[in-house]
Amino acid sequence: MADIGRRGFVKGGTVSALVFSVGGAEVIMPAGEARARGVPFRLLDAHQGETLEALGETLVPQARESGIAHFIDQQLSVPPNESLLQARILNIRPPFAEFYRTAIASIDGGSRKIFGRDFIQLSAADQREFVDLMRQNKIEGWTGPSGALVYAVLRSDAVDVVYGTMEGYESLDIPYMPHIPPEKRW
Amino acid sequence: MTNDKVDVVIVGAGASGAVYASVLAKAGKKVVLIESGPDWELSDLISSEIWGRRVKPAGAPILLEGKNPMGYAGQAGWGVGGAALHYFANFPRLLPTDFKVKSEHNRAHDWPISYQDVAPFYDKVAREIGVSGDAKAEEKWRPAGEAYPMPPMKTFRSGEIFLKGFEASGIPMVPAPVGMNSVEFNGRPACLYDGWCHVGCPIGALANPQITYLGEARMAGAEVRALSTVTRILTNQAGTRVTGVEYYDDKQQKQTQEASVVLLAAWSAQNPRLLLNSATDKHVKGLSNASGLVGHFMMTHHVASTWAMFDEDIKNHMGTIAVQYMSYERYAKTSHPGAFGSSFITAGFALKTSDLANSRADLFGPELADYMKRAARHLAGIKTFGEDQPNMENRVELTSAKDEFGMPLGKLVHSYDQDAVALWNANLEEGLKVAKATGAKEAWSSRGSIPTSHLMGGTIMGTSVANSVVDSYGQSHEIPNLWVAGPSIFPTAGASNPTFTIFALSQRGAERMASQWATLSN
Repeated sequence: MADIGRRGFVKGGTVSALVFSVGGAEVIMPAGEARARGVPFRLLDAHQGETLEALGETLVPQARESGIAHFIDQQLSVPPNESLLQARILNIRPPFAEFYRTAIASIDGGSRKIFGRDFIQLSAADQREFVDLMRQNKIEGWTGPSGALVYAVLRSDAVDVVYGTMEGYESLDIPYMPHIPPEKRW
Repeated sequence: MTNDKVDVVIVGAGASGAVYASVLAKAGKKVVLIESGPDWELSDLISSEIWGRRVKPAGAPILLEGKNPMGYAGQAGWGVGGAALHYFANFPRLLPTDFKVKSEHNRAHDWPISYQDVAPFYDKVAREIGVSGDAKAEEKWRPAGEAYPMPPMKTFRSGEIFLKGFEASGIPMVPAPVGMNSVEFNGRPACLYDGWCHVGCPIGALANPQITYLGEARMAGAEVRALSTVTRILTNQAGTRVTGVEYYDDKQQKQTQEASVVLLAAWSAQNPRLLLNSATDKHVKGLSNASGLVGHFMMTHHVASTWAMFDEDIKNHMGTIAVQYMSYERYAKTSHPGAFGSSFITAGFALKTSDLANSRADLFGPELADYMKRAARHLAGIKTFGEDQPNMENRVELTSAKDEFGMPLGKLVHSYDQDAVALWNANLEEGLKVAKATGAKEAWSSRGSIPTSHLMGGTIMGTSVANSVVDSYGQSHEIPNLWVAGPSIFPTAGASNPTFTIFALSQRGAERMASQWATLSN
């Protein structure tokens, strides 16, 4: 058995840090910090990143600031077996990037059909209305993975970055109590 | 490349493969386990729902179809330890009725063995790896056996709070048996009740294979080859014996491992996929498939989740992911009028933030944020597992799509029948009644798509090639040195979490293999 402590008490301050490329160097930082520092996306284009941020924020407040787009982008850039995305648990078939690209295209297509504009151009109220229709598979002419599945995957991603970290637990006054805290790089 | 011949090659280093490896290596056999995923160590088991996903499969060797596709990835394993590396360690057992469904109800199958044949192995597993619980309390529903080696686990308010409601509904609840340490056991520490069991317990309080059977197997000389994927089982020219397996190693190089005995101990959809992909001119439908039953009778459990919100701080972050209380009171197959199948009732388990969010999957935006604050420390749940009947059309078959090694992907087709749907609805209604009787501030059922939990069948056991793929030990009816282990050999599913039965059947099968070795080796 590995020689490890029975419980690594770490109070706050530690988040799920990921490896981002900054100025050609690999830097470990939380996804929210990567967003704040304007770290370029690896795979997403600017529109896709903005759409994921807008969708994430609609699903879970604080998801944009917590770096949902950078989290997804970084995770899409690693092999599927190393990915930490909920997509792997929801039986999405790799490459996961294909799912996200198709989902974003479906969202924009549906948004243009209903509101005449891309999702990121909608008001917060219209974005909310759109998501409510999407989760119930009520958007006519929708293509790609079902709206309910897109809702489930993106909502889980947003929950991950807002509530799945040690800071997220602290924000809800829930003791994290890790055996091995999630600060390790691998 | 060909390796030196060994006595036994085991495909898959999960729950069942680990038991066989331990028994056979200790019996002096040269054992090699070939595992498609990494060789995880306890220090890899990070306490995080996000990082914990690494020990689960990614990708799709199995495509999912049917009205109720199997949501397998969350429960399946990837790497040494398999799903038992991150299982909840709930250790209920099957009951006598599960072994004779055909005789008693003229439906499904009888097992070729009875509860009494398996009972001594439940006791043996409990003694060897440690189970906490109250056997006497369970014996109101099952035949008497040995006491568990450890007293029940601690209970918490998130479980205790439901007892009043269960009592009002006439459902006695008893401490749940779990493969965890309520006290120090065999040099392993007691549980800390931090609720990180489902991403892997790194402290040794939970009986995962790394610290039990696999550890023993390695000490006895068993070799584990990780990141190695078996693609085919090899046979002699006459097709009368298997000779080993073909696999791709951790450098993606094709290898052959010859062995006197081949044991398939991969997960339930993968065992039939391998048998089907190993067809030869002597076994044109796949190995051990003269019956045409390989890949059929895939089963799962449906789960009826009921949630309740309380005013008091019930500290729902404390405890284990395994349950605190359980009941077999609705286990009789006809417990619910208009439905058929067993139900296994459980209550009280630690919740993580993703659980809070998933308990109201319809909420998003500010409503979700508000709900998360209310649910933290105040939400608790009841889960009732229900039996899925073995239906021929629920199956694994090969497709024309290929994986990275050129092996056809499997397709797993699954739909619930009317009995399963009726049973799930009955369990939801009863759960809601119980939750309301507790005095909860709010109570609701998780409706929507019917969940799938656990995967069984595909290479079922039976009395002959006419009705099954293997015998009660897991030995192929057609090729004596080909064996299969794990839940894929279950002919019915019951409603109990399967791992205790997987361990018990594997112990029984492994002891049989060792005792019959002279008839198997060549």
